[in-house]
Amino acid sequence: MAVIDVVNLSKAFGPKVVLSNVNLQVQEGESLVVLGGSGTGKTVLLRNIMGLLTPDSGHVAVEGKVIAQLSRDELFDVRQSIGMCFQMAALFDSMTVFENVAFGLRRHRRMTEAEVRARVEECLAMVGMKGTDQLKPAELSGGMKRRVGFARAIALKPKILLFDEPTTGLDPVMTDVIGRIILDLKHELGITSITITHDLKSAFEIADRIALIFRGECIACESPADFKVNPHPVIQQFLRGDADGPFLQDPPPPKRKTQEAPS
Amino acid sequence: MVLTLFDKAGAGVLKATDTFGDFAVLAGRTFAAIFKRPFDGKNLLFQFQSVGVNSIPVVVLTSLAVSMVFAVQLAFGFKQFQAEGLASQVEGLAIMRELAPVITGLMLSGRIGSAMAAELGTMQVTEQIDALECLATDPIHYLFVPRLLASMVMVPILTVVSIYVGFWGGYLILVGVEGQSAYVYGNEFYKLLAFRDLRIALYKAFVFGMIIALVGCWKGYRTKGGAEGVGNAPTSSVVTSSLWILISDFFLTKLLLV
Repeated sequence: MAVIDVVNLSKAFGPKVVLSNVNLQVQEGESLVVLGGSGTGKTVLLRNIMGLLTPDSGHVAVEGKVIAQLSRDELFDVRQSIGMCFQMAALFDSMTVFENVAFGLRRHRRMTEAEVRARVEECLAMVGMKGTDQLKPAELSGGMKRRVGFARAIALKPKILLFDEPTTGLDPVMTDVIGRIILDLKHELGITSITITHDLKSAFEIADRIALIFRGECIACESPADFKVNPHPVIQQFLRGDADGPFLQDPPPPKRKTQEAPS
Repeated sequence: MVLTLFDKAGAGVLKATDTFGDFAVLAGRTFAAIFKRPFDGKNLLFQFQSVGVNSIPVVVLTSLAVSMVFAVQLAFGFKQFQAEGLASQVEGLAIMRELAPVITGLMLSGRIGSAMAAELGTMQVTEQIDALECLATDPIHYLFVPRLLASMVMVPILTVVSIYVGFWGGYLILVGVEGQSAYVYGNEFYKLLAFRDLRIALYKAFVFGMIIALVGCWKGYRTKGGAEGVGNAPTSSVVTSSLWILISDFFLTKLLLV
C-alpha cells in the first residue's frame, strides 16, 4: 500500500482549474520530486495532502486514511506523522529558533525540558544550524530560515516530509547545501518525501521518481533516468530551460540576436 | 432596474449572513476550545500582560481626562440651577454605569483588538497559521483562546481601575477647582450608587472583552491579500468592535437596569 495516495485529485479556485485528475502514489521510503512551472498547482497538491485544502473531487489518502474524511482530531494525529517545510519557512517570528523547533515537542510529546533541549540540538545539528538556538527568525538569512524550518519539521520524527520549493530564491551554493541536507535526511531518517522544486540539479540528486505537472495534470511520473529521455515535448523543453515550445500558454518575447564583438 | 436592485439587495443579505455565520462559527469553536488540552499557561500569562498590564497607562489617562471633562461640564451645568452639590452624585453615577466600561472598552478595542488583528493577520499571510496547523496545533485553541480569556478577565479589572481613576478625576475638578468639600465629594460620589451598579459595569466590561478579542482574532484570522489585507484588518477590527460595543451597551443597559 502506498504511503501517500493521490487519486483523481481536482481543485479549482473559481473558474481557474489548478489541478485536474492528478494521480500519484508514493511508496514507503521513496523520494518523489514534483516539477512544474510556476502556478501549475504543485503547492496546492501539498496543501491537499496536509488537509489545508479540501479537494473538489478525488481524494488524498495518507497511510490509508482519506484526509478529507477525517475529523479535526484524527487529522491532527495524521499531521503529527508529516513534516511540512514551507517555501518561505513560515517560522514563528515572535519565537527564537529554539522555541520554533521545540514547539511541536512541547505540545505533543511528554518530554522533560532537558529532553526537549537535546532533541532540538540534535535537529539543528542535522541541518547545520547548531549554535543558533537563541536567534530570532528576523536575524537569519533565507537559507538559514529554510534549514530551521527543516529542523522544526523533523523534530517530531515524522514518517513523511513535504518540501515546498526549498531552494527557491537561494544562491546556487546554498541551493546545493539544501539539496545535500534533504539527501542526508533521506538517508539518515529513511523517510518518505515529496519535494517540489524548480532546481533540476538537486531534483535529479534527490529523486527516486520525478513527476511533472503541466496545466494541472500530471504528465509524467517516472525514474530520473526515464524522465530524462522522455520524448514528451513539454518535458524536454522543461529540461532544456528553453522559452520556445509548448510549455508556455502565451508566446514568449522573440529572442534577440546577440551582437557580434567588434574585431 | 427593479430586478437589479433586488439582485444587489439579495447579494448583500447573503454576504452579511455569510459573514455573521463565519463569525458565529469561529466564536463557537473558540468557546468549545477553552477546555481542550494542552493548557498553555505561559501563553495565557503573556496575554494577561499584553492585554491587561500594558493597557493600564492608556486606561488611566483616558479615564482621568474624560472624568475631568465630565466634571467641568457638570459643575457648569448645575451651577445654572444653584445645584452644585448634585454634580458629584451624577459624576459617580455616570462613571460607574457608563463612562468607565464604555471608555475602557473603546480604548482597548483600539489598543488590543487592533494588535490582535494585526498579529494574526501577519501570521496568516506569512503562512504561520498554516504552520501551526501542520504542527497539529489548532490555531483557534492556540491563538484565540488565550486572547479571549485574557480579555474577559482583564477588561473588567481595567474597568475597576477606570472607575477608581474617574473618582479622582472628578475630585481634581470638583474639589480642587470648584471648591467643594472633599468630605462631601467622597460621600456624594457614591450616594446614588448601589452594588448593582458595579455589577452592571462589570457585566458590560466582560461582554466588551469578549467582543474585542473575538472580533480582533476573527478579523486577523480571515486576513487575505498580503500587506493591504494586514493593513485593513486592524482598522476593520476597531470599527466593528467599537460599533458592537456601543450597540451592545444599549441592550445591556436596557436589560440589566430592569
